[in-house]
Amino acid sequence: MTASKNYTAQEIIVVAGSKILEDRKIVFVGTGLPMVATLLAKLTHAPGLIPVFEAGAIGPPLSVGLPISVGDSKTFTGASYVKGLNAAFEMTQRGYADFGFIGGAEIDMYGNLNSTMIGHYPDGYQKPAVRLPGSGGASDMAASCERTILIVPHDKRKFKEQLSYVTSPGHLDGSPNARYNAGLQGKGPYRLITTRGIFDFEEKTGRMRLISVFPGETVESIQAATGFELLTAKELTPFPPPTNEELRLIREEIDPAGVFVKK
Amino acid sequence: METPTQMYWTGLSPDDAREALVNKDKSMRDKTMTLKEAVARFIRDGDNVGVGGFVNIRQPIAITHEMVRHGFRDLTLSWQSAGLAADYLAGAMMVDESRFSIKRIELAYWAHESFGLSPMFRYLAESGKIELEDWSNYNMSARFKAGAMGLPFLPTRSPVAGDIPSSNRTRIIICPFTGRKIALVPASNPNVAIIHVNAADKYGNCTIRGTDATCPEIAMASAHTIVTCEELVDHEVTANHPKDVGIPFPAVDAVVHVPFGAYPGACRRHYYFNGDHIRRFHAATAPMHKGGASDDLKSYYDEYIFGVETFDDFIQKFPAEKLMADQAAESLNCERPA
Repeated sequence: MTASKNYTAQEIIVVAGSKILEDRKIVFVGTGLPMVATLLAKLTHAPGLIPVFEAGAIGPPLSVGLPISVGDSKTFTGASYVKGLNAAFEMTQRGYADFGFIGGAEIDMYGNLNSTMIGHYPDGYQKPAVRLPGSGGASDMAASCERTILIVPHDKRKFKEQLSYVTSPGHLDGSPNARYNAGLQGKGPYRLITTRGIFDFEEKTGRMRLISVFPGETVESIQAATGFELLTAKELTPFPPPTNEELRLIREEIDPAGVFVKK
Repeated sequence: METPTQMYWTGLSPDDAREALVNKDKSMRDKTMTLKEAVARFIRDGDNVGVGGFVNIRQPIAITHEMVRHGFRDLTLSWQSAGLAADYLAGAMMVDESRFSIKRIELAYWAHESFGLSPMFRYLAESGKIELEDWSNYNMSARFKAGAMGLPFLPTRSPVAGDIPSSNRTRIIICPFTGRKIALVPASNPNVAIIHVNAADKYGNCTIRGTDATCPEIAMASAHTIVTCEELVDHEVTANHPKDVGIPFPAVDAVVHVPFGAYPGACRRHYYFNGDHIRRFHAATAPMHKGGASDDLKSYYDEYIFGVETFDDFIQKFPAEKLMADQAAESLNCERPA
């Protein structure tokens, strides 16, 4: 497996995301890079990975190409079970989703995500500075998938001490049993993948902790791009650059048109 | 006992929704009519309109065009995730508020996934022109389901944390059986549902392919339902496969045969997205985001909506080769039926 020097930030996110997914598990897939990561995992180490899409497709082989929407026709062809939104979320609520793959525009140190608005909540809610799309299914996945994998591009404006709005709850304020006490199910944020590295969340405090560093980054460079104090694992693993084969799969097989992984 | 002082219903209350059905003609009759007639008969100013589809899939685009031509004021719109249907209604408000206006939106998501944000949503929200109530996809789906079940609420596992519960009418209670916190989301019973389906018979029995989205629930929850269909089929066809009927005839008031009724969005087994036209429509809002006038957007509406009599005329504006290419793209998606 030859390592490549020529890859983009989105490509290494996809490779990292795919490696976190486990074979023969069910993953609830959000729109965008999670779809690419899921396809890459299926084509490499996890052929038995089972994708679920919130519009109601359960276990499609994704053999007719990359969907561009979570309700895309491509998510339904060959699926084992085809319903609508209620069915997908009811199954998730019941505990069928081992992983959930979600993103957001802003994240805090506890893995809480914002995809609703930039501005002041609640005073500015009805006239936000920037209005984002809204939760979609992300807050439901955050509340009911057993473990969530988060993807957020890494810069100081997005990694914030205080979010404008909490759309998808992570480890809340990090206090013991915070999720259980709030009525949430599942263990919450499991891994965070950014453009600079991979993080987990320390069990005791629920706080974001750097565990793996992408090529060209250091603990210092990552901290400098983060708006709060990061924890760092005792043993940091460097994350290897994508292999030529991984890049070929992403560029030629999975997303040749560059729909989600920009060229 | 706690009295529900802060509670209000934005469509029909559960009691009113029940009463609406009791008084409704539920007979098995021919409900085919024109879109003009359906929109004029079943939608009123101030109504809560439940919008079917999911993002840009099987959205009731033809119905929204006719609503824009008719003109409505002070609508409340309810959906889980919407794209173009929402944009067409919102764009009409940006062009001329005196002719078309939205008062309030109850939603989980309004954008276009790979086609980007909705410039209409950003414009109206950031200028404070519409009242917002944020929910999640499951919340809105469960709200329609509660309405469809004749219940005032459903208990759900979200939203129990973060800022969504305080943005809307969720109640978080202690579950009387487990002692844990759980959310109650109030039913949504819209005045009218607008829905596009793959096939329907003249009585309103509907078959949906691909995602059901939340269309069956929205139709069953609403006091009235307008359905457009890609194919108008004989009742024998639906009756031969009754388990393929996603929406049963008593829930439907108008059936309109509108091929390409979800275009330029996608419809399973019929056509894939026309991304170029989605971008073309969005580009017409660009001057308004810079504080400019609505001329570009107005010319879009003058050309594609006000300048045509029917949705067929809108479809005629696309080159036949483009329509056939979008049909061919969808046929590649459907190697096996689902």
